[in-house]
Amino acid sequence: MDSMQARPQQAIRRARWVFTLVTVVIGIFWVRAFYLQVIHYDYYRKAALSDQLKEYEIPASRGLIEAHSGGTVVPIVLNQKLYTLFADPTLVKKPDQVAETLAATLGGKIEDYRRRLGTSHTRYVVLAQKLSAGTKDTILRHKYAGIGAQEMTYRTYPDGSLASQVLGFVNNDGIGVYGLEQALNKDLSGTPGELKAVTDINGVPLAANTGNVQIAPKPGDSVVLTIDMAMQRQLESVLQAGLKNDKSDSGSALILDPNTGAIKAMANWPTFDPSNFTDVSDPSVFSNAAVTSPLEVGSIMKPLTTAAALDQGVIKADQTYNDPAHWEVDGFNITNIEEDGGPGVKSIADLLNLSLNTGATWELMQMSQPGGTMINKKGRDAWHDYMANHFRFGQPTGIEQGYEASGTIPDPDNGYARNLTYANTAFGQGMTATPLQMAAAFASIINGGTYYQPHLVDQLTDASGKTTVMQPKVLKSDVVSSQVSQEMQGLLEYVVNHHYLTPPFNQSLYMVGGKTGTAQIAKPGGGYLENDFNGTYLGFVGGDKPDYVIMVRVNDPKNGGYAGTGAAQPIFASLGHTLIDNFGVPPKGQ
Amino acid sequence: MGAVTRRAPMSSQPLTARRHRPDYLLLILSALLLAIGLIVVYAISPALVVEKQVSSNFFITRQLIAIGLGVIIFAITARIPLDIWSKLAVPLLGVASLATLLALALPVNDQYPAHRWIRVGGLSFQSVELLKFAILIALAGFLSLRAKLGTITDLKATLKPLLIGTLIIGGVVAWKQSDFGSMMVMMSMAGVMVFVAGMPMKRIAMVVGILMLLGTLVISAVPYRRARIEAFLHQGSTSNCATLQTGYQACQALIAVGSGGLIGLGLGKGVQAFGYLPEAENDSIFAIYAEKFGFIGVSILLALFAAFLSRIKRVMELAPDDFTRLVATGVFAWLATQALINIGAMVGVLPLKGITLPFISYGGTSVLFVMAAVGLVFQISRYTLYNVPRQTEQTGGRNVYEDRYDGRRVRGAYHPNPGSRS
Repeated sequence: MDSMQARPQQAIRRARWVFTLVTVVIGIFWVRAFYLQVIHYDYYRKAALSDQLKEYEIPASRGLIEAHSGGTVVPIVLNQKLYTLFADPTLVKKPDQVAETLAATLGGKIEDYRRRLGTSHTRYVVLAQKLSAGTKDTILRHKYAGIGAQEMTYRTYPDGSLASQVLGFVNNDGIGVYGLEQALNKDLSGTPGELKAVTDINGVPLAANTGNVQIAPKPGDSVVLTIDMAMQRQLESVLQAGLKNDKSDSGSALILDPNTGAIKAMANWPTFDPSNFTDVSDPSVFSNAAVTSPLEVGSIMKPLTTAAALDQGVIKADQTYNDPAHWEVDGFNITNIEEDGGPGVKSIADLLNLSLNTGATWELMQMSQPGGTMINKKGRDAWHDYMANHFRFGQPTGIEQGYEASGTIPDPDNGYARNLTYANTAFGQGMTATPLQMAAAFASIINGGTYYQPHLVDQLTDASGKTTVMQPKVLKSDVVSSQVSQEMQGLLEYVVNHHYLTPPFNQSLYMVGGKTGTAQIAKPGGGYLENDFNGTYLGFVGGDKPDYVIMVRVNDPKNGGYAGTGAAQPIFASLGHTLIDNFGVPPKGQ
Repeated sequence: MGAVTRRAPMSSQPLTARRHRPDYLLLILSALLLAIGLIVVYAISPALVVEKQVSSNFFITRQLIAIGLGVIIFAITARIPLDIWSKLAVPLLGVASLATLLALALPVNDQYPAHRWIRVGGLSFQSVELLKFAILIALAGFLSLRAKLGTITDLKATLKPLLIGTLIIGGVVAWKQSDFGSMMVMMSMAGVMVFVAGMPMKRIAMVVGILMLLGTLVISAVPYRRARIEAFLHQGSTSNCATLQTGYQACQALIAVGSGGLIGLGLGKGVQAFGYLPEAENDSIFAIYAEKFGFIGVSILLALFAAFLSRIKRVMELAPDDFTRLVATGVFAWLATQALINIGAMVGVLPLKGITLPFISYGGTSVLFVMAAVGLVFQISRYTLYNVPRQTEQTGGRNVYEDRYDGRRVRGAYHPNPGSRS
């Protein structure tokens, strides 16, 4: 009995030791659990939430952009939902198989996909972008672990590159850049919603968790532009053809309604395709140069100088004066670059028709001292007042465009050779303005004397469907008197009548006026380029009253002749005829 | 010592092994643990559905089927008398070896990357679980025989076959199947059985020393094991697990446990199962449980495990003979080792090993053989002695029989004379 019992004695003792050891270890784990769950709870809770709690912005759908087309409005910028395919390499289980499927469905190299699926130290690798819902579903149907798709909204352009620089585009961060998209980014983008939620590892919010915050996004406003699609198309093709003919590589043109300030068409060349903006190598094509690129405008300034002198009452529209074809100001000579016929008695109509620099200088002398031949502070101040306050140079017009330039006008009371500088500004040198600023100022001297803010937005519709129709905004109502305005119409019609525009306009039926400009191009270091000029044209067409102002700018044409007459004027003529023929300009008396 | 004196009259009760009411507490505790496992698997099913892309009741259905089969296996192991089991040792080892060879021969795929599973249709069977069960029976038979022959201390008769067996199984399980966790469980089981069977402490110390040396070599030879150990030794900040390459699972496990807090997030509120913590239904299920039920839940679960193990320990103490005692000891060591290794890793005290938490983890084979093992212990509990033989100083080395368990006495009240039954 004793020997039989010795074994159980030892066995039982040892069994108890084992049990005690296990119990002690369980006790250690219990203490450890207390340490983790009670003492360090805050630390682990925070660590958990830093992983699990995700804050998302729910993007608001961006407002559409529409434009006029005949009697209706049609979309010019739409939204399209496309998908970004991504992988979480830590969850991908069959990289070879996934890579094969991707290559077969999307094209591309298997090795390339496999390499991306094997990226370490990241949980998000983009595999493909801009996939259609169908393509995305084809891939997701395989239910590969670690592969997901994310919906992204892209702008889409039914008319391709039409008006692209006016529109601008939305960059990859969802922010509008350039043009209208930039200027109206806030209105178009709306207010993003907010989602703060505990999610699974793929970022999908867990329904079971309370305390998730969700605020619905507010869609952006939709916009109807003042742009007329057909007119825009015509403008772009005429400009492109004209520049080609002029052997110029760049230029701008715009059509403005002088009675409201509405931009009917506006374009530059070269341009770009906004749906493929990432392919553009020279970002300068993104800019709407008609708004962003000021230039020394040249002789198209002379109608404004004349209007200012007339409005001040220092000259009369029907008077004549003695033009010496040469002035000496501050020790420098001012001469005419066009064939002026030499010194002699000239009318104001001659001044514009022959584009006399000496005539514009004479007008500034009249502002200084009626009947005089000197430029003084009074004249400079008076002309500065017209440039700055009547024609609103040196400040942005406020059009709904990104990067609008102000241009510059010289200080009347400071600087070297300021009388000479001011004489220069009287014929469009020594100051700068954008084509848009010129068109808006020009509109104000032929429309009866009202400066309307140039604008592109005709209507805004907010998320609730409320539509606001933009009323023309008067920035200055007495730029010049209505009588001066009428006189200017006549003088500018005279200029067109005495230039050889091809084909000629029937001026008995239509009111067509305008002025060429051949502007010297400033050298970066000072002075002007010898053989390079910008050609400009500023004119209007209408019936009993001007209906459209047309501004043309041709950069450094090489087709010979004066840049204004030879390069810009034909484009004006072509646009003027297009407007009369196709866009219902009513003839005189109707 | 006063108690001994008071109970001295009962010491005349003979040491017998008669059939009596089994230990239902063992059954109840097992059922409670299984129920907890089922609840957790059910609660994380929505997360698993997303991650593994299976139908919403995939896991719970399979687990319920496994438990159903487990009940049948339990009934079988609890009913087939233990002396028959002892005779089945060799056939069982044979079947287990065949199953292991089959698993080794079958091709692997992405879902089953190691040679550990035998797959038939949609079912998979982990051969090592059967091997554990077979070794349990075989080792209990072998050791009880050696004890009876008095050769338990004999190097040649006992230690040599054990070491050869360990090497063979180690070569297959730890090396070929690269299932180091299961190897450790089996070695622990064998070690504890050998210890309780009466192997001298000196020998045990020697063997343990050799095995530790071997283990270190094996670990340092396999890169991912080394990485796991290194990750364990260099636990840094857990504030951003995603940046970790090797310690990711351990890091997320700590976050799951810690963020559970005192009372837990609640059954349906856990987050870590949603892709953050790998193996949520399986190796990591303790951390998921801790996240849902907090420190209070952990305390309850640990207490249940301790209580469950204490019931087996009681069977070990009161087992009618060496064979049954060793079977109970083996089951104790098997389940305790698995539970401790698993929970230890989840609370960051031990390095990560890919083994399941008995009763709780999802997995059919594990549930099946855990229940088979508990069935054996349950059967033994029908034949336990009423008293623990005990030598005390006062009896001068003579055995006295002390009624140690209050529970036993109370239960005894229903059967004042158990000897008159049957």
